[in-house]
Amino acid sequence: MNAVISAAGVWIFLLMIQLTPESGLNCALLFGFLTALLASKSWRAALILCSAAGLLTGAFLQGLSALLSAGVNLRFYFVALTPMYVKALSMPLMPLSYALFGGLGGLLGAILREGLAGARRLSLPMPEITAARSRWLSLLFIALVLLVPLQLSSYWNYNLGTIGIYVLLGLGLNIVVGKAGLLDLGYVAFFAIGAYSMALLTAPTPLGIEWSFWPALIAGIGFAALAGILLGLPVLRLRGDYLAIVTLGFGEIIRILSKADILTPYSGGPRGVRDIAGPTLFGYSFEGELQFLYLILLACFLVAWVTSRLEQSRTGRAWVAMREDELVARALGINTWKYKLMAFALGAAFAGLGGALFAARNEFTGPEDHHLLVSINVLAVVIVGGMGSIRGVILGALVLKGVPELLREVDAYRMLFFGGLLVATMIYRPEGLWPSAKRQHELHEGQTIST
Amino acid sequence: MKQLRFSLFQCVQIITALLIICYVSWSAYSVLYVDQSYDGATWTRFAISGITLGSVYAIVAIGYTLVYGVLLMINFAHGEIMMLGSFAGYLSLEVLAAPLSNYPALAVAIAFIVGASTSMLAGMALERIAYRPLRGAPRLVPLISAIGASIFLQNAAQLIFSPRRRIYSNPEFLERNQGISFLVGGESVVFTYTGILTIILSLTILLLVYLVVQRTQMGCAMRAVAQDRRAAALMGIDVDKVIGQTFALSGAMAGAAGVMWGLHNGIIHHFMGFIPGLKAFTAAVLGGIGNIPGAAVGGLTLGLVEALGPPLLDLPFQLKDVVAFSILVLILIFRPSGLLGEAVSEDKV
Repeated sequence: MNAVISAAGVWIFLLMIQLTPESGLNCALLFGFLTALLASKSWRAALILCSAAGLLTGAFLQGLSALLSAGVNLRFYFVALTPMYVKALSMPLMPLSYALFGGLGGLLGAILREGLAGARRLSLPMPEITAARSRWLSLLFIALVLLVPLQLSSYWNYNLGTIGIYVLLGLGLNIVVGKAGLLDLGYVAFFAIGAYSMALLTAPTPLGIEWSFWPALIAGIGFAALAGILLGLPVLRLRGDYLAIVTLGFGEIIRILSKADILTPYSGGPRGVRDIAGPTLFGYSFEGELQFLYLILLACFLVAWVTSRLEQSRTGRAWVAMREDELVARALGINTWKYKLMAFALGAAFAGLGGALFAARNEFTGPEDHHLLVSINVLAVVIVGGMGSIRGVILGALVLKGVPELLREVDAYRMLFFGGLLVATMIYRPEGLWPSAKRQHELHEGQTIST
Repeated sequence: MKQLRFSLFQCVQIITALLIICYVSWSAYSVLYVDQSYDGATWTRFAISGITLGSVYAIVAIGYTLVYGVLLMINFAHGEIMMLGSFAGYLSLEVLAAPLSNYPALAVAIAFIVGASTSMLAGMALERIAYRPLRGAPRLVPLISAIGASIFLQNAAQLIFSPRRRIYSNPEFLERNQGISFLVGGESVVFTYTGILTIILSLTILLLVYLVVQRTQMGCAMRAVAQDRRAAALMGIDVDKVIGQTFALSGAMAGAAGVMWGLHNGIIHHFMGFIPGLKAFTAAVLGGIGNIPGAAVGGLTLGLVEALGPPLLDLPFQLKDVVAFSILVLILIFRPSGLLGEAVSEDKV
């Protein structure tokens, strides 16, 4: 492990010739965070190491600056240096501040690490909910979810709406990946189909069909489910990683087609579709963020209810059997084709619902809304939250979509933190934050066998 | 019932295949003989760019295939490893341009070495930090970890190198528009020096890797681990060490590919690893994942399909990725084990 740290140190050192004082601070913070999170054994060691790394960075920059003030033409030796960089070098920050930043990164990393490790040691940090208490707790949760938005600004209601849509997507993907065990990396394709159905059926341009919201919503769900079946028919024979890569390719195909120039007259092309109709019900239109949030919440409750009913049904048990061992499931007389297609279609339908709501809320949809990153985010929501459990998906969406919003202030580190969190969660808590009790049991059982 | 469903599926398969063959041959016929949209020189240019692109894909794809062979996981961050190598090569070229202005070839060689070794170290560190603690976990767990590592590396690179695009400063003998020109049907076609360098280097690397895997003790250990990890451990092979070596080998290749990419295409940025990574993985699956000659064949096929597919099908070049991914989907539907892959046993899929 020490070798890795020193290798990383050398690597970062090599990169320093390209650092400006500000990115030097970033570097110190980053290095500290990484070291503490993944490498060091104790808090104190982490802090010392990280501060030392920060100090080293600072000293290096200070040295360069000293050379500069001594009249050495730095740009002659380091052609990579821009004039702006050299100018910035003439007023570097004190090495101490680099050490401070390194230490800060170390502290953050150590806290995260200890937190995750502690969670694993305790093994059940999340309250175990018995059936008797579960009803009261869900009622409490629902009441909270319904009342809290009234107190929030429309900015936060908008963000909560996005989180709600991710809950929808997560619940859908949860069926495909968590229950049926089919790894789908192109889930965004169904989201896109829902969004584009809503967009093209209600917007005045490019097609000019101008349906109202509700039939377009149903059409969006229907088209997405149909696409799920059509994609499922040929590819369900594939397994594991092959299925993952084919679905990933399918997602990319849909995205590229949506922005292709030859399809622009039908799809709006790279500029997307604008003026998508919002929902109205008995003359009442859901215009504000708050009203739309309630619509999204309604959809979430509906989908969560359907999922929880399915979980305990014959279908849900067939999915689990199939995920655990397909051969055995088939031998037991489960029609695996039927259930796989069902999982695909249902997951796609939920994604279509999410996409249609998303497009209607933003009154816009375009190719960049349907990037591969959406699929990956949803997968991360399902897995970080706890695969196979509804509460886990809700928690995962709150953490993965909510925390980055809170971190808006430190925008540059947002995605960095997200990536680090994914790795750290997988290392310290592979069953997810709040897994279903059954899944957690399975995972830990597996670990004892393998060691 | 079972029999009926099976034959129905086959019928659908055959009909689809026939339809696709009809469509492809009809559009190829109309492009080549009826419209004659492009002349011979243009076709040659397409083919050259396809082969160059394909040879880069091939060496990145081998990295995926090697790792998949020993760990049965998709190393999602492989594209980012390539990006790091590309940046390291760029930095060393910039630094060495003035001191080594009289020996430009040496500067390029050093850039390749620096790029490859940076990526090698990064690959090994990645394995240590993000994958090693996850041995024995269910299949999805390391995949998510890899996705997280990929996002992390992209954003770390953005913070460190700043999000702006960099332009590789090629030495004079490797100018991107210079090359050997020859005549095709009365028009001159330029085969750029960077393209030639890319192809020759890729072929050399392919050969070297093949020799390493087939002839050395390290390669033998890798193949043993790929076949059966537990049995290999029982035979006295240090599995962790072998996995580390695999990551080092695949990382070094990705780094070299990154430097080639930079020299040939010129522009690099922190997000550059994503698309080539995806394509290279596609290439690895296309050739049959876990199979080294398969990855090479898959890479070249994918490069050629990307360059020649859109004009042959009379589609705009914007849709080259659609053509590439469609080929992937079709090949997997008709031949699920890839072009050169053999059927893999249940527990390996």
